Amino acid sequence: MKNSASAWQRLVVAARHAPDTVDESAPFGFSTRVAALAMATERPGMSALMNRLSLRALGVALALMIFSIAANYSSLSFSSDSDQDSFDPVADVLTTS
Amino acid sequence: MSDDVEAAFDLVACLERVRARDQVAARELVEHLHPLVIRIVRAHLPRRVAEEDLSQEVFMKVFTRLGQYQGSVPFPHWVSRIAVTTCIDHLRAQKRRPEFRWADLSENEADVLDAVLTSENDVGANDALAARELVAKLLEQLKPDDRLVIQMLDLEQKTLLEISQLTGWSTTLIKVRAFRARRKLQKLFEQLQRKERS
Repeated sequence: MKNSASAWQRLVVAARHAPDTVDESAPFGFSTRVAALAMATERPGMSALMNRLSLRALGVALALMIFSIAANYSSLSFSSDSDQDSFDPVADVLTTS
Repeated sequence: MSDDVEAAFDLVACLERVRARDQVAARELVEHLHPLVIRIVRAHLPRRVAEEDLSQEVFMKVFTRLGQYQGSVPFPHWVSRIAVTTCIDHLRAQKRRPEFRWADLSENEADVLDAVLTSENDVGANDALAARELVAKLLEQLKPDDRLVIQMLDLEQKTLLEISQLTGWSTTLIKVRAFRARRKLQKLFEQLQRKERS
């Protein structure tokens, strides 16, 4: 166990001495592309606000819909029941003739 | 990034211009921050992800969240944190880790592994690059969060506090992850010692 830990430590010490030969500057056209993409996108504040407002509006609309159905349920069911007993002039004509 | 370069580049003025949607300033900011971002991206690059794509994603996050930057920490630290968390997200997304095998190592890497497993001597300076490649392959065996901690502690020699600032993790959590990662690496070395070099 101790030997394995020592092996890892010797390995990372050697790895730390590896030279950084790779160029760190941005590739050609990279900064222009990224800047253009960043500036082309919509202002994050506005889009976030719009998203939040739309979600909130959707929630309120759903709540209102459920409330109005619940509040009018009795009258809706009553009207559908009363529709069955409603006056039907065609049926009257047919039965009397 | 050296102090001279920091002094030559007026970061505050550049940020003001970027906030005013100045594309030239945005380009200058990308060029200024690229060395910092690419170092982090290269150190924590997941398999099959292009470093340019990942660094572009980091910069896009920087621009998107620029309005949230309050100036409580230096701007490069704030950008570093975005870069580190973006890398963690990508590392977490890659589920399967390939099995570590002697056969997948180059001749130099196998020599270095042989040397550290069988002798008490230090690895030669000529083998530093092979050692780094080998370390990268060994780190791929770890869980993404553990890998990140060991990379920062052992290779980049960052302190617990620095890692905590970059990742947002507590120092206790970092210690736990480092312990877990070292135990896994020890097991891996023991397995490799038992196996014959093909």
